[in-house]
Amino acid sequence: MSELRQIAIYGKGGIGKSTTTQNLTAGLVEHGKKVMVVGCDPKADSTRLLLGGLAQKTVLDTIREEGEDVELDRILKEGYGGTKCVESGGPEPGVGCAGRGIITSINMLENLGAYTDDLDYVFYDVLGDVVCGGFAMPIREGKAKEIYIVASGEMMALYAANNISKGISRYARTGGVRLGGIICNSRNVDRELDLLRAFAKELGTKLLYFVPRDNIVQHAEINKKTVIEYKPDSKQAQEYRNLAQAVIENKDFVIPTPMTQERLEEILMEYGMMELADDYKI
Amino acid sequence: MAKLLDKQRYKCALGAMQTVQAIDRALPILHSGPGCAQKLSESIGSSGYFSPNIFPCTSINEKDVVFGGVKKLNSTIENALKVIDADLYVVLTGCIPEIVGDDSGEVVSRYADNDKPVVYAPTAGFKGNNYKGHEQVVDAIIDQYLKKSDKRTKGLVNIWADVPYQDLFWLGNLRELEKLISEIGLTPNTIFGYQRGIQNINKIPEAEFNLLVSPWVGLSNMKKMEKKLGIPYLHYKTLPIGATETSKFLREVGRFAEIDSELVESVIKKHENYYYYLIERYADLFLENRVINKQFSLVSDAHYALAITKFLANDLGLVPAKQFIVDDTPKKYQEEISNEFKKLNYGIEADVAFETDGFKIHEEIKNHDYHGYPLILGGYYEKEVTEQLKGNFLNISYPVQDKVVFDDFYVGYTGGIRLIEDIYTVAVQRFN
Repeated sequence: MSELRQIAIYGKGGIGKSTTTQNLTAGLVEHGKKVMVVGCDPKADSTRLLLGGLAQKTVLDTIREEGEDVELDRILKEGYGGTKCVESGGPEPGVGCAGRGIITSINMLENLGAYTDDLDYVFYDVLGDVVCGGFAMPIREGKAKEIYIVASGEMMALYAANNISKGISRYARTGGVRLGGIICNSRNVDRELDLLRAFAKELGTKLLYFVPRDNIVQHAEINKKTVIEYKPDSKQAQEYRNLAQAVIENKDFVIPTPMTQERLEEILMEYGMMELADDYKI
Repeated sequence: MAKLLDKQRYKCALGAMQTVQAIDRALPILHSGPGCAQKLSESIGSSGYFSPNIFPCTSINEKDVVFGGVKKLNSTIENALKVIDADLYVVLTGCIPEIVGDDSGEVVSRYADNDKPVVYAPTAGFKGNNYKGHEQVVDAIIDQYLKKSDKRTKGLVNIWADVPYQDLFWLGNLRELEKLISEIGLTPNTIFGYQRGIQNINKIPEAEFNLLVSPWVGLSNMKKMEKKLGIPYLHYKTLPIGATETSKFLREVGRFAEIDSELVESVIKKHENYYYYLIERYADLFLENRVINKQFSLVSDAHYALAITKFLANDLGLVPAKQFIVDDTPKKYQEEISNEFKKLNYGIEADVAFETDGFKIHEEIKNHDYHGYPLILGGYYEKEVTEQLKGNFLNISYPVQDKVVFDDFYVGYTGGIRLIEDIYTVAVQRFN
């Protein structure tokens, strides 16, 4: 059995982290991998496609309602292809500390023995902006050693990716966390592939995979399924299988070299983003 | 850069719980972890109305951090109101709820219509020390309870001076200031100590002016009251100890309150006559005692450092060595306070350091040539270093271990005499 790979997925809010993570998970399952997905977002929608709906009671809801003396099977559900699904959840919007909630949840998962030996992968699907220390929990204390940033050719997605890289380089200095690459979830922006390649290169990493845009993803989401489950023969399902293959084979892990605001804007200018910013269409 | 803070002389802002406990029939309600409450409830003499060790506290835990502690705060206030009969309830928040973002102010505002006032002071430790916390509590009362009054009571003066319990002599000092102010025909109003409480808080808006006797603590409160309640203030920076400063103080208050100077002078004369009568009787002691050296250092908050330096230089003719101010005085006040140390009689100026690191202070004391036995007035931390230097030590500021004070005081003419007594008691007890 291979060593457990713990992977954190970061990226701007709404970029498609949860969709990508779950489809990637489905791809890994087809390769015979055992995967656990830990949703680290108060919205608790990181496992919806794997579970066929928001069927999961979150760790924090369970703690809130039942106290801290809970059994693992109350918070861990089995989803598509035997994946283990957990949602950290969070307090009600506007109160409490969601960051601390994630720390509490992950500690609880550890104490309850969720990290079993048969697992090949654990994914942490983290809230868009790493707003405080709590959301960096998955990459602290030697948990996730591998990070992928989901981005697109949109300006704000790249701003966010660059910011996240700053966080990664901070923790990389003290821990073993490394950036495995950028996953592009395409928005069909002009010269997107070139831009993402240039951006990844500037960060000292690579564009791991370019996932093209396809409406079938939305159809699958409406049906509460991953694309691989919904339309296994589709072109998009194959894209996610390829992404899974790229993750399995990836051996390039780096400490990112985040760029200054000026440099980031230079790259955007170079690839025509600044002029296009006003009128691009999704 | 992180550094080790050696011999700290204050608590965190939540230490303002003592300020609440100094108000008769007022009750602190802590929104904090249980440890904060435990650490802050050690002050001696604060068990007056309600026990210093028994008070409502939300005792928040991890669950409250994640989900927010407002529900617990609400039920704690609700039950405190049922169980404990107080005149004023002051909710004090610690660091955790302030970081998590609990809207404690909103919870407290639900009790706006309650028979007894409930106010809220954000006293998270990261906001500063208990001197700042003290100001927060007074601010809370001004902001959330007091209302502007059309009525003005002629001669009524609100007096603000020491930070209760942080300053050992707070009670006696306030009472003595009240007495002095009464003698020149004014009516003092203070909110701390025996039989003051809510009825005196209610009188605040009717005062003719506020009198702040403190170098910096409370100044922001005075400004707030001036703006909100329309009460002007007189800021007298030096706590008057001994004849020189007290007479000056009475004259300035008299001028501000437009009191007949003849009355003021007659009060001063009466006190000075007795004061110098005592001094004269003991002139031999001052002249013949060889163990009180001419040079001294203070290690205390700005309040006492300034007050006692002026007293020892102006009244006793001692020479100031370096003075150390340890209350983490905000930078914006430091220059003004330093200048006060340059206004000593006989053209003497005292060198002042704003320093919170006890180690550095002790190194400076050890390395200074006091031309004989040093006289050190400070916190208990200074006792050992003074002993090493074979000096004379008097414990006048926090932390206090050497002295039990019920209502003793150093302020005014009488206070000056008390301080001389204490200093020379140390000297005559010395076995050389």
